[in-house]
Amino acid sequence: MITVQNLSKSFGQNQVLKDISFEVNAGEIVVIIGPSGTGKSTLLRCLNYLETPTSGSVEIGTAKVDAACATNKQISSLRKQSSFVFQNYSLFANKNALQNVAESLITVWKEPKKAALEHAQTILKQVGLADKADQYPSQLSGGQQQRVGIARAMASKGEVILFDEPTSALDPEWVEEVLVVMKELARQKQTMIVVTHEMQFAKEVADKVIFMEGGHIVETGTAKQIFDNPEHNRTKAFVARAAKNALTSFDSSML
Amino acid sequence: MQTSLDVQYIVELLPILLKYLGVTMEMALWGFFFALILAVVLAVIKVFKVPLVHQAAGLFISFFRGTPLLVQLFLLYYGLPHYIPALAGMDAFTAAVIGLSLHFAAYMAESIRGAILGIDKSQMEACLSIGMTRLQGMFRIILPQASRVATPSLMNYFIDMIKSTSLAFTLGVAEIMAKAQMEAASSFKFFESFLAVALIYWAVVVFFTRIQHIVETRLNKAY
Repeated sequence: MITVQNLSKSFGQNQVLKDISFEVNAGEIVVIIGPSGTGKSTLLRCLNYLETPTSGSVEIGTAKVDAACATNKQISSLRKQSSFVFQNYSLFANKNALQNVAESLITVWKEPKKAALEHAQTILKQVGLADKADQYPSQLSGGQQQRVGIARAMASKGEVILFDEPTSALDPEWVEEVLVVMKELARQKQTMIVVTHEMQFAKEVADKVIFMEGGHIVETGTAKQIFDNPEHNRTKAFVARAAKNALTSFDSSML
Repeated sequence: MQTSLDVQYIVELLPILLKYLGVTMEMALWGFFFALILAVVLAVIKVFKVPLVHQAAGLFISFFRGTPLLVQLFLLYYGLPHYIPALAGMDAFTAAVIGLSLHFAAYMAESIRGAILGIDKSQMEACLSIGMTRLQGMFRIILPQASRVATPSLMNYFIDMIKSTSLAFTLGVAEIMAKAQMEAASSFKFFESFLAVALIYWAVVVFFTRIQHIVETRLNKAY
């Protein structure tokens, strides 16, 4: 359903993504892990052309875009096939929670306004925020804002939801409520690609884990393979370090 | 030659002048209306860097900010009709409104552009990510937020425009300044006449400054 072929991205002299290829099937939950600054977020942003890849092709559902001959029309149809959850939420500041969710239904999918708002209300309910419909982003907590962000992504009818470190900007107390919503989506077999540092989440829900380092995909496998039995030394080192960090933070929370 | 200020004359002159305030305000309101539309178009063209049009917009802004309003009004009303006969029938009021619109659009475009650039770029990314076009994102998400940022400076331009309508008397528009000029010429009470007109402009500006404060307070509460 999603096919990425030979995707590369350079910022000037700096090559951030090097010849990335992978596939995602419908209903799969793919988690991308790796050290900071290895191009995970850039990869995700290339998938819906928030960044323009230097070369390679991205195919999602019925839309295919090759960087060598990308037209605006292709890019726009590619973007309709996916939606994005941002690290810093990026909710529309001038719209309340309900309007944020309804925006794509009205503007992109041309639903009548009343129907769109009702539809949006159902989606808000799914993320547990039915009672916050008329609140503006500035009136919501970080966790609530991110749940609205997820609701907005759910509303935009894409085949796949791309999550760019959805919990990284959150206070620890709000991480769980966002993860709960994501796990529920996973249970419903919503196709997702998630860039995250939440290893526990990856272990629990990922059908496939991609380990990236230095702009390359080092290793791909099931969560079990990557976390319990990694092939590459780089993966081993990263997974061991992550496990140790998790343990330390567990210890400190016990104190 | 009078030696002391003729207050009586001023008091009697004020209601006569006020009859012409309508023309002044009409010019300012129409001028601001067209300037605002043009300014938004220019600002969006500049922000999107629309090929070719973008350079034209830059040239337009440079010219209308780089030359005096009075010169622009003279060019438009006394100069251009020689070359464009269609403009020959244009009345002075229309010429003044067009001149004011073009002049202030150039300034307002820059302040709207600045406000647009001040909106976090993640807002546009969010628009694109849910399948909106850049133009949809601009008009539904970015401009509404930018308008809040730009409102104080746009209202300043409106107040400035009210005062600038006084230049229209040089084209022969019968507005408040023209009337004051005529009264002064017939009574020889120059100081009183121009003081009276100054007081009226001042009162109008104070009134709109009040409104500006109310609008700004409202806007800050919105979200």
